[in-house]
Amino acid sequence: MNWFRRVLQKKRQEAQLQKELQEHLERQAADYMRSGMSEADARRKARLMFGGVEQVKEECRDARGTRWLESMLQDLRFAARTLRKSPGFAFAAIGTLALGIGASTSIFSVTDAVLLRPLPYPNPQQIVRVWEQAPDGHRMNLANANFEDFRAQNNTFTHLAAYGDLLTSISGGREPMRARVAFVSSGFFEVLGIEPFRGRAFAAEEHRPHGAPAAIVSYSYWQRYLGGATDLSSFRLKLLGGVYPVIGVMPVQFDFPRGVAVWIPNELVPDLGSRTAHNWRGIGRVRYGITVAQARANLSTIAHRIKEQYGKEVDLNDAAMVPLADAMVGDVRTALLILSGAVGLLLLVACVNVAALLLARTSARRKELAVRAALGAGRLRLIQHFLAESFVLSFAGGLLGILLAVLAIRALPAILPANLPRQECIAINTSVLLFALGATLAVAVSLGLFAAWRAVRGDVQKALAAGSRTHTGGAASHRFRGLLVTGEIAITLLILIGAGLLGRSFIRLISTTPGFRQSNLITIQFSLPTPLDFHQNEATIGRQIQLLDDLVTRLRAIPGVRNLGLAGAMPVAAGDDLADGDFLILNGQKPPANFDEWDRIAQNHSQVGHALYAVAGRGYFRTLDIPLIRGRMFGVEDGVTSPNVAVISQALARQRWPNQDPIGQTIEYGNMDGNLKPLTIVGIVGDVRARGLDLPPDQPIIYVDYRQRGMNLNSSPTILMRSSAPAVEIVSAARKIFHDLAPDVPVKFSTFADEMGGWLADRRFLLLLVGAFAAAALLLAAVGIYGVVAFSVTRRTQEIGIRMAIGAERQDVLRLVVGEGARLAIIGIGIGIVASFVITRLLSSLLFGISATDPLTFAAVAVLLSFVALLASYIPARRAARVDPVVALRYE
Amino acid sequence: MDKSDIPQGTLDLLILKVAALGPIHGYAIAQRLQQVSRDVLQVQQGSLYPALHRLENKGFLAAEWRESDTGREAKFYRLTAKGKKQLKTEADNWDRLIEAVGLVMKMPGGEGV
Repeated sequence: MNWFRRVLQKKRQEAQLQKELQEHLERQAADYMRSGMSEADARRKARLMFGGVEQVKEECRDARGTRWLESMLQDLRFAARTLRKSPGFAFAAIGTLALGIGASTSIFSVTDAVLLRPLPYPNPQQIVRVWEQAPDGHRMNLANANFEDFRAQNNTFTHLAAYGDLLTSISGGREPMRARVAFVSSGFFEVLGIEPFRGRAFAAEEHRPHGAPAAIVSYSYWQRYLGGATDLSSFRLKLLGGVYPVIGVMPVQFDFPRGVAVWIPNELVPDLGSRTAHNWRGIGRVRYGITVAQARANLSTIAHRIKEQYGKEVDLNDAAMVPLADAMVGDVRTALLILSGAVGLLLLVACVNVAALLLARTSARRKELAVRAALGAGRLRLIQHFLAESFVLSFAGGLLGILLAVLAIRALPAILPANLPRQECIAINTSVLLFALGATLAVAVSLGLFAAWRAVRGDVQKALAAGSRTHTGGAASHRFRGLLVTGEIAITLLILIGAGLLGRSFIRLISTTPGFRQSNLITIQFSLPTPLDFHQNEATIGRQIQLLDDLVTRLRAIPGVRNLGLAGAMPVAAGDDLADGDFLILNGQKPPANFDEWDRIAQNHSQVGHALYAVAGRGYFRTLDIPLIRGRMFGVEDGVTSPNVAVISQALARQRWPNQDPIGQTIEYGNMDGNLKPLTIVGIVGDVRARGLDLPPDQPIIYVDYRQRGMNLNSSPTILMRSSAPAVEIVSAARKIFHDLAPDVPVKFSTFADEMGGWLADRRFLLLLVGAFAAAALLLAAVGIYGVVAFSVTRRTQEIGIRMAIGAERQDVLRLVVGEGARLAIIGIGIGIVASFVITRLLSSLLFGISATDPLTFAAVAVLLSFVALLASYIPARRAARVDPVVALRYE
Repeated sequence: MDKSDIPQGTLDLLILKVAALGPIHGYAIAQRLQQVSRDVLQVQQGSLYPALHRLENKGFLAAEWRESDTGREAKFYRLTAKGKKQLKTEADNWDRLIEAVGLVMKMPGGEGV
């Protein structure tokens, strides 16, 4: 780094150069004196012979090759100094860039953590999610028997594993808790390549039906409920009706499936041998050197073979496969890409705004530049000067932007949707900082080159001449600035329309009625000690029903509780917890005695229907205000010993019995709860958007009574209470009742509105951020328009003065000036609308109830933007109208 | 006799040649060039120093401040190993050029010598 040292030794360099040249002159003069000249003559002649000392010095400096760096440092210092002299400009430019860079850095940190960073497993690109694929192309989870075939017959995976998880109560730690338990097949931890950091993984004798029970716990469960103890041998967890010794603890960063506290072998879940019970999610680790496509082809072959062998008994005909990283991200990808797009546009708007500011500054400094050029500054030297200035601006903006991003990332968890995978990895790290640096550099270079291009373009002489009259630049520069602002308005319109569409969707969504009344609903979610066994024996169910009955009776007696209903899952807000499956229409036929018979009847398609399976109870429909269309609701007469009954939704009645009366029909739905007793339909109730507000209302639903069927593994028992008293009072009374009757049961109290808030979180997140970006872009656009119009007013002060002097009214001046802003706005809005028509299509999958080209949104946004544009031009226009003609005419 | 400006690009070669004789300061180089060429070569003094700095920067010359005959410190330039190599290459080039130009100029006809 020789040149670098020389730069640092610049002072000494200069002194030596001076000394060297001086020495030359001295010697020359001495020689002349020796030949008889007087000292003064000798010195003069020596100087004459030498030429311009300063020029030679400059050439020597150039010859040393450190020139560009020296002048760069000089330029940077100069730029910083000039920016300090115009703090208004510097403040606006740096603030604008900080906003753009800060926002894009924050969004990048999210995108990086969720989409870009590799999964925290060894060789993560080799891990895939595996599904069965139906003839119509939709993916299904794995049925155990099919999974076993996949696992035994493939030659492309090192390991293939099946897993599932459910929310249940776990006791045996410090206190009972409600948490996720995962059932995992052998090979599960090998697929992910992570071993317990304490204790051991499951042994072979634990991975077989009726094997030795064992549990592996998560790091956080171990810390919080097992006190982080070194010796695990004393811990026995009670869950799902069994007792599980703790044998291992997973490392702190291991979180798969997301949020799981305990892993147990899946062989403990009884298997019915069905090839259509798609209960298991599949993952696999593809062998080294095998591509995902090859592995998929391998499983496809096996799937075809299964189809050939079992025919109608199976509903798969192919296998599907996606890299785990992609599968985990799923729907979030679209949202994140849209956010990235929006923030990218915001950064663009910020840059355009600063470019417009720079342009104004450049034209104001034309004279200075012309003088510098005339004094010999080369074009490159001038370009370098502009680069230096934009570097100073951009890096100040970038630094401030990173600070903003740090704050934003700290605030993010409050608005991040809970279902966003890997959000705990969001942080300012090296790649995020590199992104910020890259963005800053890109901004710096493009702004610098832009400003330089505008400045050194054209003839310096002409500029000097043109600049002699007023301090402003040519009309071309002003027109160009108008062009920039037009572009800025177009981009702003695009972001605004995006935000508008999301906002309108959101409003539509929250004003959609789910089919019942949502206000004043208190919710209690809890877990029952449900036995793992699919075929629950009557005694267990009896105990469960007794407990539920006791709870319901006492809760109903709390003063202020008007209505109360029990459900197997909270509709809408936790709609994903609702199971769906095929049922049989018996048509007077004898109900099947076992599941083989069940499968045989199911081969006749006219006897099969599909619906959501919803456990409910007496009071449920009344509590939620779900209207009874015909027949009756569940009543006191429906008990364990009486004939089992079902209530169905109107949509199911319409779809399955279009020309018949469904009431009195018997159906068989034992595949959902293991209870083969047939159900007689006794009532039809109104439709409910049980799975989510964004889905069509005509979901077929079959309701069964918990007092006849109990709660099974597929249920997340929820009590819904409509009350007139304040929720706090009711909750404290209810808490006491649960404590009395079921001290071991973890309970979550909430309100339906709060639970819906969680359900809406990811939409709200997207809306909030895109809305914020839109607001920021709107502000920047307003500043941009204001800047152009205000500058134009200054430029035309004289003209305005003349106009007023010859009789123009204030109104005319106002119209003249506002007209200029309006023209920019109209062109920008026109371009923006055309662009939006094309681009908002990308949003389609996130919209609800409106099209991507919703005319109302387009119109409203256009009006809003026009209004802001007019306001932004009105302020300088008013100033222009107040101009005193006499002052204006003298104005230079 | 008329004085000739040094052809473009040959100043470097001349400086290297002069410096090859031993450490020498800028003024002496100018004097030496003039003397040896019998006053034909007129070095633009102003262009001498940028050339010296350029050659130093390229590593062909190394500089050192030491006391000179006048008792004052002067900057003495000395040819480096890299400079020696460069001098040889450039001298060879020069010979070839002279030869080639000579051949062309000896062609009969025209207003040749």
